[in-house]
Amino acid sequence: MTPDNDNRRWRAGLLGLALSTAALAAHADTGGAAAATPPSPAQVAGQTQDQSQPRTNSTADKRIALSNNYAGNAWRQQMLAAWQTQTAPAVKTGVVAAADAFTIGENQPTDQAAQIQNLILQGYDAIVIDAASTTALNGAVQEACDAGVVVVSFDGIVTAPCAWKIVNDFHEWGREQVDYMAKRFPDGANLLEVRGLPGTFVDDDLHQGIVDELEHYPKLHIVSSVEGDWAQDVTQQAVAGVLPSLPHIDGVLNQGGEAYGVAQAFRASQREMPVIIFSNAQDELAWWAEQHRKNGYQSIAISNAPGIAVVAFWVAQRILAGEDVPKHLTVPLYHIRQDELSEVLAHTPKGSVADQIFTRADVERLIQQARATQASAPEPSPAKAQDPAKTPSAAEETQP
Amino acid sequence: MQSLISRPWLWAWLAAIAVFALSIALSGASQAGGLLYAALSFGAFAAIVGIGQMLVITLGPGNIDLSIPAVMTLAGTLALKAMDGAPGTALLGLGVALLVGLGCGAANFALIRLLRLPPIIATLAASLLYQSLAIWSNRGLRIKPPAALADFATGRTLGVPNVALIGVLLALVVWWLLERGLWGRWLLATGQNPRAARLAGVPVERVRASAYLSVALLAGLTGFLLASFSGGAALNMGQQYLLLSIAVVVIGGTSIAGGFSNVPGVWGAALFMFLVVSMLNAYGFDAGARMMLTGMIIIGIVIAANARRRRA
Repeated sequence: MTPDNDNRRWRAGLLGLALSTAALAAHADTGGAAAATPPSPAQVAGQTQDQSQPRTNSTADKRIALSNNYAGNAWRQQMLAAWQTQTAPAVKTGVVAAADAFTIGENQPTDQAAQIQNLILQGYDAIVIDAASTTALNGAVQEACDAGVVVVSFDGIVTAPCAWKIVNDFHEWGREQVDYMAKRFPDGANLLEVRGLPGTFVDDDLHQGIVDELEHYPKLHIVSSVEGDWAQDVTQQAVAGVLPSLPHIDGVLNQGGEAYGVAQAFRASQREMPVIIFSNAQDELAWWAEQHRKNGYQSIAISNAPGIAVVAFWVAQRILAGEDVPKHLTVPLYHIRQDELSEVLAHTPKGSVADQIFTRADVERLIQQARATQASAPEPSPAKAQDPAKTPSAAEETQP
Repeated sequence: MQSLISRPWLWAWLAAIAVFALSIALSGASQAGGLLYAALSFGAFAAIVGIGQMLVITLGPGNIDLSIPAVMTLAGTLALKAMDGAPGTALLGLGVALLVGLGCGAANFALIRLLRLPPIIATLAASLLYQSLAIWSNRGLRIKPPAALADFATGRTLGVPNVALIGVLLALVVWWLLERGLWGRWLLATGQNPRAARLAGVPVERVRASAYLSVALLAGLTGFLLASFSGGAALNMGQQYLLLSIAVVVIGGTSIAGGFSNVPGVWGAALFMFLVVSMLNAYGFDAGARMMLTGMIIIGIVIAANARRRRA
């Protein structure tokens, strides 16, 4: 083969790659606009005309962009849909000039860094980021800050000091699961722990929460721990494989999105169904409701609502309006209790994930709370979000 | 005896049996049935896509299909969407999944043949398209399979998981085609030396096309089965099968340089890959140790299998 020919081949290959990446990005960009199902607000009631009088500068001419690193699962799809449906009214009523969503193709930090540079050039006033890496984007983020762009990271946060960081308290998520099990099994229990993607800070943090809380309950034992990668089929496989070697299991702790796979594995093994902690996936919740009808099965659902993207949007808007917003904000976890289950299910489209709607008023409350904790505890604060030592520095993408 | 030892598939099966025995030593013999049942169920998915990957790898250096996960996701998504949980639509869903597989296979081969792209680039680029189509078509909504289909996929016949029966049946068909059929001879000849094969009158391009169509067809079928088995298609459902499909081929004793296929080895390796993770889980290793041990065990088996082949 002549070098020329070879060269052409490669160029054709790169072209093909570029084309398909562009195709992916293009359709992802349209985000929720094309979504067949509008996200169903669990608490849509609170979402009403809260475009209250701006206390600070107008942001009517400001443009906000969402830079998203991944779209390949239901959580991300719901996140994009929430962004779309919640920011569109803000654009329409002139609170901001634009709120555009951009998704890169393959969850690559390099792609996302390039995308952020593009967004700077396009003159956005704020960039809201769900980051592919906590550290690899810091260069691009710093460039944005230097150019006077407000950067707000959420879910997958960045460590660059100039960026705002909006996170869920994953440690708390782990602790709450153990507390629930302790309440259900005061005389002790055998627990199975399903972990997420190894090496990510979400997995470490959540696991640490479980370990820390278990110290208070010597009668609860984790008899096995498997890795589910936050994917239902992977979880089903891992649990099915380990079950034969395990004693009776009373409860299953997990990290969200895998409970249905756990239930399937237990069903196939013909064991007694344990108490499984659920998250916000509709198929899990529907299964839970069905079991509850059949035999009074009781549990709880804890998750990180995809609506956190909307929190990030309003935070960016408040910063652009000149408000002084603390750099770290912790968004409360989303709980669904037994008595709320049917209500939530009625509002959640089949096969989607239940979401929590954060309004502008909610976000302002969050900001005030964060400010209060900051003021009351300027020293190493008990609130985790303000504690830099605990803010994890190494991690990849966060929860699916 | 000599001929038995020199079989490259032997090592995958020996490893699977050894790992099985170690697991049983921990959990007690009463659990052997449960573990074997789980291994057959989950091994079947890896075995079916592994057999497809094996056909492509047999074509010789550079031939590989990296679009398997995306084809699985697209086929599963579209099939479950077409059925929409309605009873009596299982065959419709199967048809959709197989058509998606065929279409993806044809697209892959068109990219390779018409644009002269290296397969590794062509299938990777195409997989981005398939994944995008899957996202776009359903926005990640999880539709339940029809109840009867779900019962079939998770059910058993004569104590054997139905998905494993399908996997074994497919393995037998492919094995027969390779060992006894003309097409199999052509495939092996193409993999050993495409030029010599062409000169000998083998329709090399048609053979390549059929291999790429087969792998995509099998991936589509696996996507359909897996989605029915696990209660719906998820956008990330095929992820683990990218590396797994290649690993079972290599561990199974198929030559990565092409020209030599090994069907029984793929099944042995598929069982092994499931059992080794289960065993390490059961013994309570953490994620890091588990990955390291898995990697070391795989390297060990590949070395053992290759050393035997050289001597033989």
